[in-house]
Amino acid sequence: MEAATVGRPARPRRAAWMRRALPPLGFMTLPTALLVVFFLVPMAILAVISFEWGPLSGHSGFTTSNFTSIFSDPLYRHVAVTTFEIATIAMLAQLFVAVPVAYVLAYKAGKFELPLLLLMVLADELNPMVRIYAWRMLLGKEGVINSGLMSIGVINQPIEALLFSKFAVIVVLSTSYVTYTVIPIYASMKAIDRGIFEAALDLGAGWWTTFRRILLPLIMPGVFVALLLVYIPLFTDFASPTLVGGTSGYMLGQSVNDLVLESGNLNGGAALSLILLVASGLFAVLAYKLAKIRQLD
Amino acid sequence: MATVDATRPATAASERAAAGGPPLVHRLRRAMPRAASIVITFLILLVLFGPVLLLAVFSFNDSPIISLPWAGFTTHWYSVAWSDAEAREAVIHSVTVALVVTVLSVTLGTMAAWGLTRLRFRGKGAVGGLHGAVLVVPWLLVGVSGLMFFSRLGIPLSLTTIGVMQLVVTFPLVVAIVSAGLIRFNRSLEEAAVDLGASQLQMLRYVVLPQLAPALAASTIFAFSWSFNNFEVSFFTGGFEQTFPVWVFSVLRHSQNLPMVNAISTVIAAVQVVLVMGAWRLMKVLSHGAKDEELADIMVGGMR
Repeated sequence: MEAATVGRPARPRRAAWMRRALPPLGFMTLPTALLVVFFLVPMAILAVISFEWGPLSGHSGFTTSNFTSIFSDPLYRHVAVTTFEIATIAMLAQLFVAVPVAYVLAYKAGKFELPLLLLMVLADELNPMVRIYAWRMLLGKEGVINSGLMSIGVINQPIEALLFSKFAVIVVLSTSYVTYTVIPIYASMKAIDRGIFEAALDLGAGWWTTFRRILLPLIMPGVFVALLLVYIPLFTDFASPTLVGGTSGYMLGQSVNDLVLESGNLNGGAALSLILLVASGLFAVLAYKLAKIRQLD
Repeated sequence: MATVDATRPATAASERAAAGGPPLVHRLRRAMPRAASIVITFLILLVLFGPVLLLAVFSFNDSPIISLPWAGFTTHWYSVAWSDAEAREAVIHSVTVALVVTVLSVTLGTMAAWGLTRLRFRGKGAVGGLHGAVLVVPWLLVGVSGLMFFSRLGIPLSLTTIGVMQLVVTFPLVVAIVSAGLIRFNRSLEEAAVDLGASQLQMLRYVVLPQLAPALAASTIFAFSWSFNNFEVSFFTGGFEQTFPVWVFSVLRHSQNLPMVNAISTVIAAVQVVLVMGAWRLMKVLSHGAKDEELADIMVGGMR
């Protein structure tokens, strides 16, 4: 063995290298190549297009005007503010209900915990377009809520603000994403040692103190994960505001769509997409870091 | 566990009552947040499922306008939906794409999960990060970049381009679910199998696969739903061939609500309910007496 290694050092070493390198290559090449070709390269092309001007086919020189025109346009500033407003209210509304729901699931549901969890998963797996449609049917001017209230005589005129408004977008977005907010918070509650609540109780803490000083800090990692999973997609959602938002609920995701598909301004659309990509990347890193730090504490 | 919390406030309150405090007020104050939480949970379930149930109810309403009062029972809208060529085509497209994407996602995802959890190689952190990053980037941006990629390369948009881009966003989810499964079990079983003379294949077949079965079942159902439900990616990379969500979107954008859409949506939702419940039963069978909690873990993992 020894002699062979000394005599022909190259081949056994190569064989050893092959033995070590082959399995990772075999398992990882295809998945990684797929992501590089159809995820990273398209992102790179998007970035390149955002710095170009002129028609797509006969593309031309470098420019930053796609970005400056977005940043200087008051219209985009207005849309950005609306988007921020809708996304933030929807996120807060979800957190507000997600904490009690996660609490019930984690501590109070008993034998109903699993069925409830399954219902959450089920709600999430229903087709989002079907859910948006269901809300539109309910909230419309001649929709179920308005016609129902009118037929029993509560109102004489349909409440028009129900549909095609910020309110409608917030309702639809909150209900679309709320399961994603509940689950990470539920997971972090499950990880808490329940003895700590007894200790708080023995030391005379009321429920508000227990909630604020004990439960809330301990579920913060779950909250940050929820922010990562929900807040970012809220900023880029495009189907819900298009179908229920009207003009007052117009969001950035729609701007991307309008630039790219409606007005054929690929460069502008790419620039806005890149801005959203960078912003969501920064936010993701921040939320991830915060979740980690909290976990260490 | 639950008993601790149920008895504890009472004893604490009675201790305090012995000390002269007001027990009833205390008990009420303690019960209030719990009661409020339970009420909120019911409201959430109502808000999550109520609209879809009403949508199903109104698919049987004998009126072209979806509103109250009720106009009588009919199955007319189901036959309208059945004979609508575009709708049928869209559903067939979605199912076809979802089946292909599911098979490929589960295969690629399981491979990558094995590589990332069981093998050592250079650049593993970066490769793992790449798989994770896909799950965080919004689908709108994946769709738009895919559109630009294909148009720059001059590749015409079709069901194939939809499928490829859906695969890209779906298989990393399988990686996440299966890796979580692989990290959870005991590696010493695998080592023991190899020590006892099992080949790599035998070890995979008789040791890893049975343990991984529930995670694979969950991955399959989630991959299918992710692909079937996907709107943004299909919308931007689909050209003239529509999937079901894209079809609903374009119908709703250009017209009022249509009872025909209610009918199709009801069928789709019913099938999805059956699929999720079926997957749950299957996981229970495949796991041979694993604890419900572990299964819940896997199921919940699909939502992350």
